[in-house]
Amino acid sequence: MHRLSSPGVLWLGILAAIALVLPVAVPNAFAIDIFIRVLLFAFIGVAWNLMGGYAKQLSLGHAAYFGLGAYTSTILLIRFGVSPWIGILAGGVVAMLASLPIGALCFRLRGPYFAIATIATAQVLMLLFLKFRDFAWGAEGTTLPNLGDAPLMMQFESKAAYYYIALAMLAVGLAVTYRIERSWMGYYLVAVGEDEDAAEAIGVDTLRIKRHIYLISAFLTALAGTFYIQYIYFIDPNTAFSFNVSVEAALVSIVGGIGTLWGPVVGTVLLEATSALLQSWLGSGHGGVQLTVYSLILIAVILWRPTGLIGVITDGYGRLVHPGPARAQEAPLDG
Amino acid sequence: MAEALVIRNLSKRFGGLRAVQDVSFSVNEAETLALIGPNGAGKTTSFNLITGYHRPDAGSVSAFGRELVGLRPHDICAHGLARTFQVARPFGKMTVLANVMTGAFLRNKKPEVARARAREAINFVGLSAKEHSPARDLTTIDQRRLEMARALATEPRLLLLDEVMAGLNPAEIDQAVALIGKLSQRGLTIVIVEHVMRAIMAVARHIVVLDHGQKIAEGDPQQVVANADVIRAYLGTGYVHGAPGGGGC
Repeated sequence: MHRLSSPGVLWLGILAAIALVLPVAVPNAFAIDIFIRVLLFAFIGVAWNLMGGYAKQLSLGHAAYFGLGAYTSTILLIRFGVSPWIGILAGGVVAMLASLPIGALCFRLRGPYFAIATIATAQVLMLLFLKFRDFAWGAEGTTLPNLGDAPLMMQFESKAAYYYIALAMLAVGLAVTYRIERSWMGYYLVAVGEDEDAAEAIGVDTLRIKRHIYLISAFLTALAGTFYIQYIYFIDPNTAFSFNVSVEAALVSIVGGIGTLWGPVVGTVLLEATSALLQSWLGSGHGGVQLTVYSLILIAVILWRPTGLIGVITDGYGRLVHPGPARAQEAPLDG
Repeated sequence: MAEALVIRNLSKRFGGLRAVQDVSFSVNEAETLALIGPNGAGKTTSFNLITGYHRPDAGSVSAFGRELVGLRPHDICAHGLARTFQVARPFGKMTVLANVMTGAFLRNKKPEVARARAREAINFVGLSAKEHSPARDLTTIDQRRLEMARALATEPRLLLLDEVMAGLNPAEIDQAVALIGKLSQRGLTIVIVEHVMRAIMAVARHIVVLDHGQKIAEGDPQQVVANADVIRAYLGTGYVHGAPGGGGC
């Protein structure tokens, strides 16, 4: 097994310590709300990155799993009184099951065709939930019953609690990525991302590895869906299957650096910070100016660093992000 | 001697083009066979048919007693047939070591074991000094070496090499010939598609000549280069190799 070098452990410790004290140090509800969004989207990015980043299967339909997770736990909660703690896992399983037929259809296609097919799957699911009014409240959606402080039902008075749940999910996502990156799966995924035919030639069952990583990616994304709905107390098809979720998942990874452990985290922090700052500087008075500036920054980043901003950080300090199969530059896979 | 690979009546057409027509040949275990012929003769298509990248319209391919038609490329690799591509296809952003480890994972999923096996293969092709270089930075010959190491890491019994010498200079060709000789000595069965006649004469014990998708000649190297059809279709009348075989047309 690959050992983390001691500076890596040190940095990770510092980072974890900062993350843990942040809601105590900044007890501002608005700030914590932003932190929660950062953690949540970083987590979704991490889930997306496993498949979209390492194996380069550019999905633009991860909202399908976000929504299935959200609806599964909400239906279980409201119709059957099942705790979202169980619902969140049930949602993950539903997402995994859904990923099998979706994958079977979409993996026949490559590149942009695959991306378009995945968009369609999320849109179809959204339409189904819009039309099934008796089953899942249709277009108007529903609010979740407010139970006050009910930790067993994943409801909390303090925002800090949600913050820690999101932090824990992100930690799990990163740990899963770390393990996969260093195992044979990581090598197979990068090989598929680089050249599927060449991967087949050396014994990689490309369809199977794609199916497996899609299962894992869908499961994790569904967890985020349940969490988000529990956090905002409201669900409707447009929120749960929002195209924004799909785009954001891909965007934070691409900006941060696809196929890297920390890429989605870096990308989310930068994009969310930029977006929040622009919003407070430019306000809403100028209608659309802030979005325009945001887009310009995005274009600049992609032109200047097509492999992601993580490279800027690792060029300066290449230790924290450990070299997996995808990171050729900083030497070894030995160790 | 046991037959490693048996190809019977293999045919494949792409639209109106008959890429491979009714081709049969077999390769004995531990033998090196060369597949030669002009461009478009169906050599690479034959490779793709054998290794599962195309499905033949008719005919059969069996290796070590098992029918391969209908299997996917990774199954065929697991069965002991490894191939290289005409244009090397390294995983560019991986290091040389990571590339070869990916091949080694076929037989053992433990990273330490795969790493050790990969190092052996890298050492065998003489690429140890560049173990940590990203594959995309390698020169042409080193990319070919890498492909060979990656294929060897899957522990094949039969190796299919598609024009590994194209684009190499004479000194590099000598190195490649020596490498193939070394592999053959280890008992590996080799099928090689090649245009460099000097190399073919040095490594092949048996030659199959294709032209327009059909087999036009087969035999040991001396017989083949003296064959009138082969000279007309491929070698050209200027080619003289020992015997004054029937020239001209």
